[in-house]
Amino acid sequence: MSKFNPIEKTIFALIMSAVVIAVLVPLMFFLANAFSNGTEIYEYPKTPFFSLTVTVKVDYLEESNEYQVLMKNKSGDYINTINSSSGLMLSTYFEQYFSVYRTGEELLSDFEITKTEGPQEFTYYKNMWHNFKMFFQITSNADNALKNSIVVVFYTIIISLTLGSMSGYAMARYRFKAKDQISVFLLIVRMFPVVGISIPLAVILIRFNLFDTMIGLAILYSLPNIALTSWITSSIFIGISRELEEASLVFGANSFQTFIKITLPMALPALAASSMYAFLTAWNDTISALILTNENPTLALAVYQAIGDNTTNLQYAAAGSIILIIPALVFTFVVRKYVNQMWGSVSL
Amino acid sequence: MENVVIQKNMNTPIKKMLRKFFNKKTAPFFLLAPTFLYYVIFWMSPIIISIKEVFTDLDGEFSLFGNFRFLFSQETFTPALINTALFATISVLLQYVLALGLAILLNRRFKGQKLLMFLVMIPMAITPTAVAIIWKTGLISSGWINSILNVLHLNNDLIPFLGLRGIDAVLLIVMIDTWTVLPSVIIILIAGLGNIPKETKEAALIFGAGKYRVLRDITLPQLKPAIITSVILRMIAAVQVWAIVVMVMGFTNVPFLVERITYYVGPVSGLPYARKLAFTYSFITALIVFTATMIYFKVTKKGSALDGGTQK
Repeated sequence: MSKFNPIEKTIFALIMSAVVIAVLVPLMFFLANAFSNGTEIYEYPKTPFFSLTVTVKVDYLEESNEYQVLMKNKSGDYINTINSSSGLMLSTYFEQYFSVYRTGEELLSDFEITKTEGPQEFTYYKNMWHNFKMFFQITSNADNALKNSIVVVFYTIIISLTLGSMSGYAMARYRFKAKDQISVFLLIVRMFPVVGISIPLAVILIRFNLFDTMIGLAILYSLPNIALTSWITSSIFIGISRELEEASLVFGANSFQTFIKITLPMALPALAASSMYAFLTAWNDTISALILTNENPTLALAVYQAIGDNTTNLQYAAAGSIILIIPALVFTFVVRKYVNQMWGSVSL
Repeated sequence: MENVVIQKNMNTPIKKMLRKFFNKKTAPFFLLAPTFLYYVIFWMSPIIISIKEVFTDLDGEFSLFGNFRFLFSQETFTPALINTALFATISVLLQYVLALGLAILLNRRFKGQKLLMFLVMIPMAITPTAVAIIWKTGLISSGWINSILNVLHLNNDLIPFLGLRGIDAVLLIVMIDTWTVLPSVIIILIAGLGNIPKETKEAALIFGAGKYRVLRDITLPQLKPAIITSVILRMIAAVQVWAIVVMVMGFTNVPFLVERITYYVGPVSGLPYARKLAFTYSFITALIVFTATMIYFKVTKKGSALDGGTQK
């Protein structure tokens, strides 16, 4: 590899920083949004960092016997928020707009001091989980949806890995007629748009009594993934030498033991990669879930439905998305080390 | 002891029978049968049902072009087709130019390469629904994109990004799509670069070729198969864009083919013609994707991918 000269080095560094900024800036603002309270979310201009605390200035208004609460925003200005003397009202307001959980009595006793000492600043810790709690509250059956997502991912991986690796093994190890046609057919299935299948599939699933169930949904998600799995696994099985299996048989292992101890471990990267794709299909999809479920949405669908196309309370939507992102991120990066071995040989 | 003997005796005929059915000749068919059955029931029959739906009218009478004529008369059809075509072309072109450049840069060894790769890969793992929300929080007029422009003193007005329509909106969606898709394209290209033998490059350098000459005459031609495969895969995915569109722009404002399907199975699914339109739209989308797949086979000479596309 040739070396860079200094000018090229600088350009290289600039480009790479631009890439990092382009990736990280949206994510940082997004995180900041997800942890914003009901007031911060409407602040402008926004900052890419979220605060852990809320600072309010409280003033006692003698003529009306009320507390005037002003919130200090990130640029240090005070925004008038609420005037009230009722502990309950203050407490509700603090929860809803500041994500601060504090009972009415606590707040009133905190503010008592302003009667004698004049306006005071108070700093409270935000409850960082407030938006997540609210997401589950405003999205009906979101917890059910989370469970559904996990179940459907599980079924999809099971179905696609079993059927896919069986046909992958057949494609790799045996010679038979129509092998080429089958391989082309598998590719067509893999590329065929899932949307085109989901609407008519609904008719069939209703007939099998599988409509609005996770099995039904997993059946759809497995369609491209069985093909993909057999594609990936066959390429790995070809690489595993037959002699190794035969040697194991000669040394007295039966064919089941051979499969478990020799073939399977060597096929692990392929299975890991396939299960990653199966996971991502099932976890990320919204459109098929929209078509094939009724009362049992998956999490991605629940987030989508909760947001629809409105632009208010985006902090709850952002919190919901974090719940959606984390498993996919963890799964992708755990499996990545196996997939890296795959990327070398399979172009996907 | 006795037990074992009995078992063995019972086993032999069964084993023999098994051998008879399950030998080298029949094994592949036993292994392939479940998949085959699965695809007949859950893939072929839906396709047959959908073809039947597309070529019959609301009363179930056969009509060859009835549904298509009805679809073409919809105001949103032409923009949906144009937007999808524009989106697929622009996004794939842009992503390839960017990805190629970045892949070549990321492929050389430098300090912090692993960390950088990790960072670049993050958007790939983010669910499309979440991607839409990330960008929606930026695109609302008091969102973070306007905030950045404001803080950098580039623009002090609030630009109403979400009000954009037509080609501007398509470009906006291209930008969002590029952000999330670019990593996967880079990975494919880096894998392709890894398969190019170092020797040819070194030889060219020794014989006095410049870096850029090597890139043009050695690296790019050898990368071609990887590029073709992934361009087609990207095109197929790009034709099916919808989640970002709907969640950022709302229904109907910027029509796309698959966005139309969701529209007819979602918000207006109660209307009698909605189902027919959804079927016809998905038929057209499937046809486009199928054509692209066929072109792909023509270009890459079918089947070679199933042998793993191995470069061994």
